[in-house]
Amino acid sequence: MDLYEYQAKELLDEQDIPTPRAIFAQNSHEVAEAADALGYPCVIKAQVKIGHRGQAGGVKLARTRDEAVLAAEQILPMTIHGHKVHGVLVAEAKNILHEYYVSISVDRSSRDFDVLATANGGTEVEEIAKEHPEAVKRLHITSLEDFDIEAARRMANDIGFYHADEEQAAQILLKMWKCFKDNDATLVEINPLAKIGDPEDESSKSLCALDAKISLDGNASFRHDGWHRFEDPVHEDPFERRANEHGLHYVHLDGEVGVIGNGAGLVMSSLDAVSGAGEDQGTGIKPANFLDIGGGASAEVMKESLQIVLSDPQVESVFINVYGGITSCEQVAEGILEAVEALEGTKPLVVRFDGNAAAEGLRILKDARNASIHVCTTMEEAAQLAARIAADVKEAQA
Amino acid sequence: MSTFIEDNAPVIVQGMTGHQGMTHTARMLKAGTNIVGGVNPRKAGTTVTFPGARDGADAQVPVYATCAEAREATGAQASVVFVPPRFAKDAIVEAIEAGIGLIVVITEGIPVADSAYCVELAQQRGIRIVGPNCPGLITLSATAGGHGVNLGIIPDGIVSHGPLGLVSKSGTLTYQLMGELSDIGFTACLGAGGDPIVGTTLQEALEVFENDDATKAVVMIGEIGGTAEQEAAQWASEHMTKPIVAYIAGFTAPEGKQMGHAGAIVSGGKGTAQDKKDALEAVGIRVGRTPGQTAEIMRAVLAERNIA
Repeated sequence: MDLYEYQAKELLDEQDIPTPRAIFAQNSHEVAEAADALGYPCVIKAQVKIGHRGQAGGVKLARTRDEAVLAAEQILPMTIHGHKVHGVLVAEAKNILHEYYVSISVDRSSRDFDVLATANGGTEVEEIAKEHPEAVKRLHITSLEDFDIEAARRMANDIGFYHADEEQAAQILLKMWKCFKDNDATLVEINPLAKIGDPEDESSKSLCALDAKISLDGNASFRHDGWHRFEDPVHEDPFERRANEHGLHYVHLDGEVGVIGNGAGLVMSSLDAVSGAGEDQGTGIKPANFLDIGGGASAEVMKESLQIVLSDPQVESVFINVYGGITSCEQVAEGILEAVEALEGTKPLVVRFDGNAAAEGLRILKDARNASIHVCTTMEEAAQLAARIAADVKEAQA
Repeated sequence: MSTFIEDNAPVIVQGMTGHQGMTHTARMLKAGTNIVGGVNPRKAGTTVTFPGARDGADAQVPVYATCAEAREATGAQASVVFVPPRFAKDAIVEAIEAGIGLIVVITEGIPVADSAYCVELAQQRGIRIVGPNCPGLITLSATAGGHGVNLGIIPDGIVSHGPLGLVSKSGTLTYQLMGELSDIGFTACLGAGGDPIVGTTLQEALEVFENDDATKAVVMIGEIGGTAEQEAAQWASEHMTKPIVAYIAGFTAPEGKQMGHAGAIVSGGKGTAQDKKDALEAVGIRVGRTPGQTAEIMRAVLAERNIA
């Protein structure tokens, strides 16, 4: 689960990592009040869960109240790289002397935690890594070792912080690790970790986290009160929300063929098969969603799943692909018929069953004698048929 | 000696007395797995009966308070873990501390920090974890009438013994490919799991298959997220003498969306199916466009090499 910058800042503040004073605001009136309270100049930053917002015009400097209001009016209605702006963070503007980059993340390859850092920040770390790979340090924290202040000092030294910043950097590294661990984060990134202050006055200089990105491990929500404080109901897709309420994995996509299957891999494979069929047939038909009914799904789960998918107006046909391991195809077939009955009809369904009780499931569907329910023996055939039907419906509408 | 675990090895189940544990312990017993105990401190000293589960006769499985006690009493070589996510770390650590050599974790939804801890501890002790968030591990006996070992939730009866090995990040795609290639048969099928951190990676499974004389070729099923496929490809290009045929799921997955599995996510443009396919093909590993085509390619590869 990705957090907004203002939420990430909350978690950094809880660890006493220095950040600029800042206030979250959702309309231009709130922005003006926040800017007045913080003083000028201040920065107005779009809150979106996507990078490169600055280049898209989502970050503006305001020297006066009028400029702050103008910036708010420009930024608040924006959609940045497909993400609607959720609000803005109004923050004190700081005089930046130097920029570092530091992140801690889960390292899937070494199966521990990766500290990525550079003493020459300022741009995207990927770009720095490409142009000056020697400037980007990659260090590890393992689960079994204690990452203490001594280890943090060694790390700050290895990263190459300027001598004057080394001690504060070590403190921040240690706090970042605590923030990462205590919150079950999968990423804590500070970019830039800026050296700020008056260039003429050495005592005014210090490190400050000017922007941060934090992602949390969804699997760990049970030990964080479900992360209710970070819920984002307004921005959730209504189909995804309904599926989540039923404990189903659903992802909304933008095509025409609804896809339901058991097991994440098989459903992904089914999406690929639908896209492939759309390409083969030259129609550009694509999947409308990902929906995994999970292992051992009951008729009830199948019924709910099909109702969710059919409630999506962009869906023209549905591809149901089940390989019965624990899941019984008989149960799935009954759930399909229950959903069709409850909805008093259905868009065309293309069903492919294999494995546990596949023959029984297919017989149940056949006996229902519903012209909207098609049955195929392989998933490739089924995907081709579902894509063909969706294309025909679209053509008839056009 | 089969791959990963010997035939008829004694096995315990952690979380056996829960709903999932009961269902799948009965299945594993029916598949001929030598389940010798369950672990549950609150039910220690009791016995659970699985009607008709052991060659048609009732199976009586004793419940022990701890893994250490269970291992002491039974000589268990493996444990299958069905314990819910919030208790899973303690259960796995307990199995590691008890010195059980193979720990198969079926549980989905374990925090990644807990998995990282368990995997590191297991590595330090020379213990293999399979999973978490996986369908388990099945081995097929080469001996006529012998039973392999079914650890987890992979359906029994799809395949019999043959020259293929299979490793996969996905459960149902495992069953799909097992079904497609059931006439050829397998030495072992291992569900590596769909989490960001797993105990046995695709590469580590390849290493076992490479060293197993009975395995002649390997099916590898990957999906979006991480770089396990690329690492496996790199390793295979340097060390693997046996052919691999691969399948990758998730070409149509959008950026930044978790596709069911905790680890199945393309982030920052990394972990795409295309990258994985390219990396595999760059080292000469053929990648099927669909599960069906993957099976066809495997058949062609076996024919070219006069295997099976």
